[in-house]
Amino acid sequence: MNVMESAAMGVKTRLNVNTIVKGQSVTKTFADGSVVALSGADFEIEKGSFVSLVGPSGCGKSTLLRLISGLIEPSSGSVNVKGENVVGPRDDVGLMFQKATLLEWRTALENVLLPTEVKRKITHDDEKRAYDLLKLVGLEDFVFSFPAQLSGGMQQRVALARLLQTGADILLLDEPFGALDEFTRERLNIELMRIVTEIEATTIFVTHNISEAIFLSDKVVVMTPRPGKIASVVEVPLERPRSPKMQTSVEFNKLVEHVRDLLGEF
Amino acid sequence: MVLGFRAFQGKHTKRIISHALIFIALLICWESASNFGLLDEYLYPKPSGIFHSFWVIYVKNASIWHHLWVTIGLVLLGFVGGSIAGVSLGSLVGFNPTMRRFLQPYIIVIEATPRIAVAPLLIAALGFGIQSKVAIIILVCFFAPFINTLSGVINVGNDKLELFKSLGATKRQILVKLVFPEALPTIMAGERLAMTAALSGALVAEFIQRDQGLGSLILLYSRNLNMSSAFACIFTLTVLGFFIFKGMEILDRRIAFWTYEAGRIQRSNKKARKTLNLLEVGHG
Amino acid sequence: MDRTSGTVTLLLLRAIPHVIIFLSFLVLWEISIILGWIDNIMIPKPTSIAGSIFKLYVTQGIIYEHFFITLCEAVLGFCIGATIALTLATISSLSGVFKRYVIPYAVVLNVTPGIALTPVVIAWFGYGMGSKIALGAIVSFFPIFVNTLTGLTQVDEERDELFRSLRANKYQMFFKMKLPGSLPMVFAGMKIGLTTALIGAIVAEFAQATHGVGVLMSRFSFKLDMASSIATLLSMTLIGLILFYSMEFLDDKTVFWRRENRLTITSRKRKQKWLKANSLKR
Repeated sequence: MNVMESAAMGVKTRLNVNTIVKGQSVTKTFADGSVVALSGADFEIEKGSFVSLVGPSGCGKSTLLRLISGLIEPSSGSVNVKGENVVGPRDDVGLMFQKATLLEWRTALENVLLPTEVKRKITHDDEKRAYDLLKLVGLEDFVFSFPAQLSGGMQQRVALARLLQTGADILLLDEPFGALDEFTRERLNIELMRIVTEIEATTIFVTHNISEAIFLSDKVVVMTPRPGKIASVVEVPLERPRSPKMQTSVEFNKLVEHVRDLLGEF
Repeated sequence: MVLGFRAFQGKHTKRIISHALIFIALLICWESASNFGLLDEYLYPKPSGIFHSFWVIYVKNASIWHHLWVTIGLVLLGFVGGSIAGVSLGSLVGFNPTMRRFLQPYIIVIEATPRIAVAPLLIAALGFGIQSKVAIIILVCFFAPFINTLSGVINVGNDKLELFKSLGATKRQILVKLVFPEALPTIMAGERLAMTAALSGALVAEFIQRDQGLGSLILLYSRNLNMSSAFACIFTLTVLGFFIFKGMEILDRRIAFWTYEAGRIQRSNKKARKTLNLLEVGHG
Repeated sequence: MDRTSGTVTLLLLRAIPHVIIFLSFLVLWEISIILGWIDNIMIPKPTSIAGSIFKLYVTQGIIYEHFFITLCEAVLGFCIGATIALTLATISSLSGVFKRYVIPYAVVLNVTPGIALTPVVIAWFGYGMGSKIALGAIVSFFPIFVNTLTGLTQVDEERDELFRSLRANKYQMFFKMKLPGSLPMVFAGMKIGLTTALIGAIVAEFAQATHGVGVLMSRFSFKLDMASSIATLLSMTLIGLILFYSMEFLDDKTVFWRRENRLTITSRKRKQKWLKANSLKR
C-alpha cells in the first residue's frame, strides 16, 4: 500500500486494546456557550504512538490538549485516559507549553525537581535523577544556572527535563519549540523523538506547522476552526528513526500536500 | 433577563449589607468598650461623641468651614504650583541628557531627604503666614511630578522614535504626537502622588504655624483633650482625601484613557461612531 | 583584586567632573553672599553651614544622640508597621473573605493623610519616642500592605497552570510560587514604607518632642540659626540615605534573581553546595 492509500484510510482507526487516550463527542464551549472551542471530537490514541494535532488558530487543538491533561473539563462528552475518565491533572500525564515557565529564583536543577517536591520530600536519589535528566537534554554544564542565564532553547530543555521528571508516560506538548529559531527547533525536535522512543512514551504534540507535524508523528490529526473540530486523521508511514533529509523526499511532500488539502481554505 | 438583573442585585446588596452590619457591630463594640470604662473617656473618643462633635462643628457652631476652605485652598494652590514647576523642569531636564547626568547625584540626595522636613526652615526664612505655607507645599509637591516627568520623557520607546523619524516627522511633531502622549500616564501617576503630598504638606505647615486650617484645629482639639472633635476633623480629612483620590482617578482615566481597558473600548466606540457619521455624510 | 581596584578608579574618575562643578557652585554661592548679591539672613554661607556641621559633629558632638534617636524611631516604626501590614496582606491573599472585610478599612486608612493623626498620637503615646514610633507605624502600614497584597494576588496564568498540572495544593502554591514571586513588589513597598516612617517620625518631632533631629531643626529654625538648620537637614538626608541603602542591600540579597552579578554568585554557591554534598556521599 503506498502513501496515498494509507493516508486515505481516513478518520476511523481500528478499535484497539492498545488505546491509551480516548475521546468521545468531546465538546468544549466558553462564555456560556457563545464560544465553541471544540465541537464533537472523537479520537483514539495508541499507546507509544506520536500524534500531532495540526490546524490554524481557533481549531481547538490547544483546547483538546488541555482537556486531555485534565486542566479543563469538557462541556459535554468524555475523555478517557487508560480507561478512566479524566477528572483533573494526573501524575501519568505530563505537560509542556510554548513558554518554559521556569521559576526564576530556582536553578535548573531545582526547577526540574519541582514536580517531585510537590508530591513528597526530595531524596538524594531524586536529585541524582534530575541531574541525569539535565544531562540527557544536554545541559550538564548548566545544572546550577538560573533561568535568566539561559537562552530560550536551553529554558525549553529544562522544561523538557522537568516534564520527564514527572515520570509521566503520556506527554502533551503545546508548540513547545514554537518561540525558538528554526535551527534550534529542528535540533530539539530530533532530541525529543529520541527521548520519547527511549522512555516509550505516548506523545501528543500540537503545532501549526504541517512539515513539523509530519516529520515527528505516526499520525497527524487535522483540525479545522469555526467551530473547532477534527477534520481527519492522516497516517504517516515513514520509517523511524526520522532524519531531516526525509523532508525533501517525494513521499514526505505528498503527505504535506495531502494535509494542506484537508485544511482547505483555512 | 429580568431574573438575571434581580439575581445580580441580590448578590451585590448582600455584600453591602454584610459590610454595613460588620461596621455597625464594630461601632457598637467601640461604644460599649468606652462606656464600660475599657477605654479612658478622656483620651479615646467614642462613636457617639464623634457624631456629636460632627454636629457641633459642622452645624451648630459651623466653626469648621472656614478652616476647611483654608486647607483646601492651600492644597490646591500648592499643588498647582508644584506641578507646574515639577513638570516643566522635569521635561527640560529629560530632554537634556547632559543636564540629567549632571543632576543625577543631586536627585538621589533630594530623594533620600524627607522633603517635608524643610518646613521649619522655610517658615524661618519666609516668616509666618500664608507665603511660607504655600512655599512648603510647593516644595513638597514638586518632586514627584519632576521625577515622573523626567522618567516619562526619557522612557519613550526607541522603536517608536525610529518609526516617527522614518516617517520624516519634525522635532516638534515628535514632541507633540509621541513624547507627550507616551509620557502622560507616568506624569499622571506623579500628579496623584503630588496631590497626596500636598495634603500632608498643608497639614504639617498648619501644625507648625497653628493659626488656621484643619491641621491647627486638630492640634488645638488634641491639646485640649477634645478627642471627639479632633477625630471629627480627621474624618473630615478622610472624606476630603477620598474625594481627592476619586477625583484624581477619574481625571487619570479620562486623560490617560488608553491605559485602562474600559477607556479604550469607550474611545474606540466613540471614534468608530464619529467616523461612520462622516462616511455617511459623504455618501449623502 | 585587580577588578575591584579598576572599578574604584573608574568611579573616582567619573566623580571628578561632578566634584569640580559642585565646588565651583559652592564658591559662587559664598562669593555671592560676601559681595551682598544674596541676602545673608535667609540664606547662609556655605562656610557657615560647614562650620555648623563641624560644630554639631565634632566640637559639640550633640547631634549623635538625636541622630540615633530619630533613626531608631523610623526603624522601629517601620518594623511594627511592616509586621502588621505583611501579616494582614498575607492572610488577605489566602482568604478571600478576610480580604473583602479588611480592604475597606485599609482604603480608609490610605485616603486619610497619616500626618493628620500626629496630634492625636502624641496625646495618646506621650511626648517621648513612643508617639514617633506609633506614627511611623501608622504611615508606613499602607504602602507595605497594598504592595504586598498586589504582589501576592497577581496572577501569572502560565505559572498557575504549571502548578495546577502538578496537582499542587493551595499552600504549596503559596510558598513555592506566590511568595517568591511577590518579593520584588514586597520590597518595593518596604522601601516606600521605610521612607514614609522617617517622615512620620520627623513630623511628630516637629509637633512635640525633646529629642531627635526634627527637634533640633525646629529649635535652630526658630532661633533663626539657618546654618545649623541646614546642617541638621543634611543630617536628615544622611539618615534617609542610610535607610534607603540598607533596604537596597536587603533587596539585593533576597531578590537575588533580578541582578546579573548576584545571579552568578548564587549559582556558584549552589554548585559548591551540591559538590560538597556529593563528595561526602562518595
